[in-house]
Amino acid sequence: MKILIHNMSNYYKAFLLMSIITLAGCEKKLDISPYQSIADDKALLNESDVQVTLVGCYDGIQSAAAYGGDILVLNDLIGNTADINFTGTFAGLSDAYQTQMTADNSFARDTWIAAYNTINRCNNVLSAVDKVTSSTAKKNSVEGQALFLRASMFFELVKLYAKAVGDGDYSANPGVPLILTPTGNVTDADYPARATVKAVYDKVIADLVKAESLLPTTNGNYATKWAAAAQLSRVYLMLKDYAAARDAADRVIASSGKTLNPDFTKLWFTFINNGGATPAEYLFSMKVTSQDGTNSQNTYFGRTIGTIPGTAGRSDCKIKAAHIAQYENGDVRKGFFVLNGGNYYTQKHLDRFGDVAVIRLAEMYLTRAEANLRLGTIVGATPLADLNRIRNRAGLPSLLLATLADITKERALELAFEGQKLIEAKRLQTPVGTLAWNDPKLILPIPRREVDVNKNLVQNQGY
Amino acid sequence: MRKKLLAVLCMCAIVVVGHSQTTVSGKITDAATGLPLAGVTVKGKGTAVASVSDADGKYSIKLAASVKTLIFSFVGYTDFEAAVRAGNLDVSLTNAVSNLTEVIVTGFGGSQIKRELTGNIARVRGKDIEYLPTPSVDAALQGKAAGVFVNSQSGKLGQAVTVRVRGNSSISANSQPLYVLDGIPMTANSQSSYGGATNPLTDLNPNDIESIEVLKDASAGAIFGSRAANGVVLITTKRGKAGKTSVTFNYQTGSSEASKRIKMLNSQEYATLILEGAKYRDDLDGTPLNDPSSWTTYVKNDVMDYYSYGGWSKDPTKTYDWQDQVFQKGPYRQADLQIKGGSERTKFFSSFQQLDQTGTMIGNKISRTTGRLNIDQKANDWLDLGVSLSLSRTFNQRLPDDNAFSNPLQAIALMPMTPFTDPNTGLPAGTPPGDVNIPIYYNPVITVNYASYAQDVYRTFGNAYLKANLMKGLNFQTEFGVDYLSQNEEGYFQSQTVRNQSRASSGLGSNRGAFVTNYNTQSYFSYNTVIKQKHNISATLGMQYQQSQAKYNYIEGTSFPSNSYQKIASAATKSDGSTSQSDFRFLSYFVRANYTYNEKYILALSSRIDQSSRFGKNSRSGFFPAASAGWILTNERFLENSKAVSFLKLRASYGVVGNAEIGNFPQLGLFSGDAGYAGAAGQRPSQLRNDNLKWETTKQFDIGLDFGFLKNRITGEIDYYNKQTDGLLLNVNIPATTGFTSMVRNVGKLENKGFELVLNTQNLVGAFKWSTTFNIARNIGKVKDIQGQIIEGGVSSMNRVQEGYGVGVFFTPEFAGVDPANGNALFYLNTKKADGSLDRATTSNYNLAQRIVAGDPNPKYIFGFTNTFSYKGFDASIFFNGVSGNQNNIYGMGRYSSASMLYEDNNTADQLGRWQKPGDVTNIPQVRLYRVNGSQASSRYIVDGSYIRLRSASIGYTFGSKQLSKFKIERMRIYVSGQNLLTITKYPYWDPEVNADSFDSNIAKGNDFYTPPQPRTFLVGVNVSF
Repeated sequence: MKILIHNMSNYYKAFLLMSIITLAGCEKKLDISPYQSIADDKALLNESDVQVTLVGCYDGIQSAAAYGGDILVLNDLIGNTADINFTGTFAGLSDAYQTQMTADNSFARDTWIAAYNTINRCNNVLSAVDKVTSSTAKKNSVEGQALFLRASMFFELVKLYAKAVGDGDYSANPGVPLILTPTGNVTDADYPARATVKAVYDKVIADLVKAESLLPTTNGNYATKWAAAAQLSRVYLMLKDYAAARDAADRVIASSGKTLNPDFTKLWFTFINNGGATPAEYLFSMKVTSQDGTNSQNTYFGRTIGTIPGTAGRSDCKIKAAHIAQYENGDVRKGFFVLNGGNYYTQKHLDRFGDVAVIRLAEMYLTRAEANLRLGTIVGATPLADLNRIRNRAGLPSLLLATLADITKERALELAFEGQKLIEAKRLQTPVGTLAWNDPKLILPIPRREVDVNKNLVQNQGY
Repeated sequence: MRKKLLAVLCMCAIVVVGHSQTTVSGKITDAATGLPLAGVTVKGKGTAVASVSDADGKYSIKLAASVKTLIFSFVGYTDFEAAVRAGNLDVSLTNAVSNLTEVIVTGFGGSQIKRELTGNIARVRGKDIEYLPTPSVDAALQGKAAGVFVNSQSGKLGQAVTVRVRGNSSISANSQPLYVLDGIPMTANSQSSYGGATNPLTDLNPNDIESIEVLKDASAGAIFGSRAANGVVLITTKRGKAGKTSVTFNYQTGSSEASKRIKMLNSQEYATLILEGAKYRDDLDGTPLNDPSSWTTYVKNDVMDYYSYGGWSKDPTKTYDWQDQVFQKGPYRQADLQIKGGSERTKFFSSFQQLDQTGTMIGNKISRTTGRLNIDQKANDWLDLGVSLSLSRTFNQRLPDDNAFSNPLQAIALMPMTPFTDPNTGLPAGTPPGDVNIPIYYNPVITVNYASYAQDVYRTFGNAYLKANLMKGLNFQTEFGVDYLSQNEEGYFQSQTVRNQSRASSGLGSNRGAFVTNYNTQSYFSYNTVIKQKHNISATLGMQYQQSQAKYNYIEGTSFPSNSYQKIASAATKSDGSTSQSDFRFLSYFVRANYTYNEKYILALSSRIDQSSRFGKNSRSGFFPAASAGWILTNERFLENSKAVSFLKLRASYGVVGNAEIGNFPQLGLFSGDAGYAGAAGQRPSQLRNDNLKWETTKQFDIGLDFGFLKNRITGEIDYYNKQTDGLLLNVNIPATTGFTSMVRNVGKLENKGFELVLNTQNLVGAFKWSTTFNIARNIGKVKDIQGQIIEGGVSSMNRVQEGYGVGVFFTPEFAGVDPANGNALFYLNTKKADGSLDRATTSNYNLAQRIVAGDPNPKYIFGFTNTFSYKGFDASIFFNGVSGNQNNIYGMGRYSSASMLYEDNNTADQLGRWQKPGDVTNIPQVRLYRVNGSQASSRYIVDGSYIRLRSASIGYTFGSKQLSKFKIERMRIYVSGQNLLTITKYPYWDPEVNADSFDSNIAKGNDFYTPPQPRTFLVGVNVSF
């Protein structure tokens, strides 16, 4: 190079110098970062980081595939040819409705993915909960919420993907993998086997009990002590621990300060009717707004009704006359169906936005009534009083005597199309269509992608 | 040492000059036109002494006495050899019958004569794709370059095109080639957010292109390092030439239409089928058919009558073929103006184009306006500079994606008794205020009438260069280029579309901006010398830096006062909004050296070091070397005088290239701040960390033979290649129990092996000329190791990456026909028996049937075949292309329209052949209303996708200058041409060249999901030069 420069004019020299400068590196320019994301090691450093991650847990559980509605829709659709005529084109739901699911059912897959995604978010919060230092109350609240959300997902998973309690030995039956730490680098430990149904229930109870003790009594849009207690009452009911179920329900009724809304019809259309305010009767619900979230109960049960502006939906779930016939005349709930295009649709889910109700107070009365009746106790109130409270609100006269059948029928009608159908059948061991309550076809497949990728997972019977 | 070497070099030059004894000069003309030819290389045979003819075709060269023969060579003309004689030697050159004299662009200022090329580069001349009614250059490559597979995927205008060079060499990373326009790596990935991917290459006017070089092997590609594994497409635009300014105007107009309709059931046939299905259910339930609660009654009243506005029971024969509602004849218009010329110092090329095309589907339209100016200026005897600038606007009225009820072609699913028009309102069926729940599904015509989604792209390609001659043979060039893409997408859905867009109850408007700035700077030294007349050495050394920045913004609004207000300023609710950005950068150094000995032995070496922001610090740098060698046998004594063999070259190459198209920041463990809830901000873990991530590496070996026989009237190439890719960047499935479904890892290996054959023949060379070019390629792609990962995609996840097979094979249970006894659909078990063989027993329980590889969307053979004819003023060409050995998946539509009335969709006519009674032997299961019987994903829906297509044909007549001189027109050609005139295929749906945009990915190919077919286009045109 030196020689060339000797023989060159100054122009050339300058030019060559410039060229060499151009050729020289600018490696620092390669150090750039993403804009919409931050490095994981900078994400959970302080209290505020933990709090926004907790909000992320709610975002996770609000997914359409989780409490955004699919978990509830699946519970209502699987085998429910008695109440619903499902005419939708989503093959995953259509197969679930006809109990002809295959291992690659997309709804079984997506709910599994969404639930564990939420669980990992919760585990991230729980791993960093010590960073919440401003007050013990705040720390307790954060920890309680993460435990509640995680336990809720495990509870839903074990109900959908495993044999029901009472179907064989639940301490031997495979449940779902219990994941309790956040995922970092993927190692062999991230290929878990299924914990037993009992192990999952034990963990769910432990977490919910702890959550109930940690959570505050009021908490805006987020989970409260009463949400945890209510969820716990459901768990105990599944386990047939009626005393514990009764007590949990009683705690909610006695201490939450919540009351039944005197007008049943005002519990719904929360966006159209209430401007998006959560009805006081809801113990836990998913907020859905025009900005955020999807109400998938609305997606499948809803329909665009010309006379009710703001309604929408795919009109997939047409309610059969046989279902409506089960309500007594004069029941407000009997009139809560809309006839449109020759078919009935429930009015519970016509609203695109508003809340997806996960647990309502009304259920607590029915739980307490059933448990009291089964145990012959009258904790909080008599079974008849609790039952009549629900009947009266629906515009029906009081009964003089409450039987177990009265209470379970009331429960089925009160909670119709709110995602309790399948699990109630399994709990009460009543048939689903032509299938016995414990038929393997009523259990979701472990998603094919999951079994394919994780050899430690055992597939459910029949898939 | 260097000083001495330089001295020796100078001595040599002096010696050469000192010994020259003969001076030859003369004029070179075109044999056909008699016009002077500028830029012809004149060279003494066996020497490196050369001269170039000037603008008047004049040349002069001094030669040593020992030199006996002069060679005149010029691009596009046959080499001419003449015995040396002192004094005047005029020659005339004839148009080349072979392409061996073509100059091939090799990147970074490099070029090589085809004859001396040692790598594998396919060249397509701009002329060969001129004035095709194909809006993008990649689609125009189809069938023109051996081993380059092009699938246009959809008949929607401006939609993304799949291009694979020598097979698919990746699974998760992008497998499209790198496009380089005049030195700038182009932004070629879709920026669309609606209706499937679009093709940013549409913003380039194909008529501006001088040549396209596809770098196929590692030796050609290594200089592009980590970005060359999928092949590199170098696009060179036209530049001016010294001489008279020429003005060419071309206008063509015509129309396009879908080439095929699918035969569907008429109303009576539909009624027969659905009532049969209802009867099956009623018989099962024991309900009398005429019972008010029977399925039969329901189907009659609540299905067929309801969805026909009561028309069906009045006239059961009345049939509406909904395809008529959505296909249309679309006009096509294109005007091109090209002006070029210049002086010795300043040369320019400029062009203008206006293109307007209406789609073959209702609601689809594209228009493009482009302008280009390329200028080259000789500043002084050592400095050249120039600028290329192209401005374009592409406006595309888009269609929804294939998997949307509003996709016009989904209208085919509607019942044949549903009238097009609501008799109560006179509006298209389903339009408010009529019953919005008729037809059975949303009527896509409503979206065409009451919604709009427009993509408006402004694109600038600009490049400026300075080139300095530092000393004899040594040049330095520095370039700065920008590819700026500014795109706006604006959508508005009126309230009438609410059944489809549930949020449009009082209007839904959206507006999205994409601003992709891609700048590139590169500088390089190039050196060229000849030593002792036998050693030809050239070398390039340089660097390149590329920086790409993509910024996006989005806003959406609902609640408009009325449908007359369509801007979000009027939206009472601003329902969504976002801004985002993503960048990537590459810093690279490269070197290349070529050595030719005595025009017989050629050696080429190149390498590149690439660094990228896409990879972690630990593995940020990659080294990509390649070597190739060639031997021109016809320059050896034993073949020099062969009459039959006029050219023979053996060449081989080996090298390493990479693929870094994995997206930005795949290596980082990330949290994202998009996890808000109920108005509160939230974050979530969004990506798992992988510090060891690096690019995929492809090692490719290529051996080839270039030949010419009978004075090069027959020329061609044969190549065998073997591409081994390892460290595949896989988006690997991991247990969802981790909270993630996949992470990016360098696992896995795949290979592509194959051969390519190119054959060019001059069949007739007299007054009636007939020439043929033919290319065929066979690629065998095989995934060798994915470490047990399950990678799926496509319709119902049927495309799969399966070891031992090509990428994205269809993996699904095997349909075994219908049980003649009961009409049940059957599937083969295909479970593995103890001896390893498959159990071929059948079952009606779908869940027991194991999945098998039931087809492959990758073709075995691809080929192109062109014939051109000319006689006096007439010219004609006819071009076929085809693929064979591939399958398509029609489950997208098949699961609804060939599903034994699981749904109320209209059925394809072949469904009439269903099982009806015991003993019936058929492949179509019994109709069972709303019940699954054989409509699960299976090989039943995997069909042959091979085709041979008459891609284009044209016939033209050129008026000579004598006939036109009084109009001051130099040349005029009128022509008619057609595209997609004929397709020979067994494919049952519209078009075998298909891939549904809703599912498109690297592995999800060959899917048909109500996908619009390729248009058939007829054009007439006129081309005038002044």
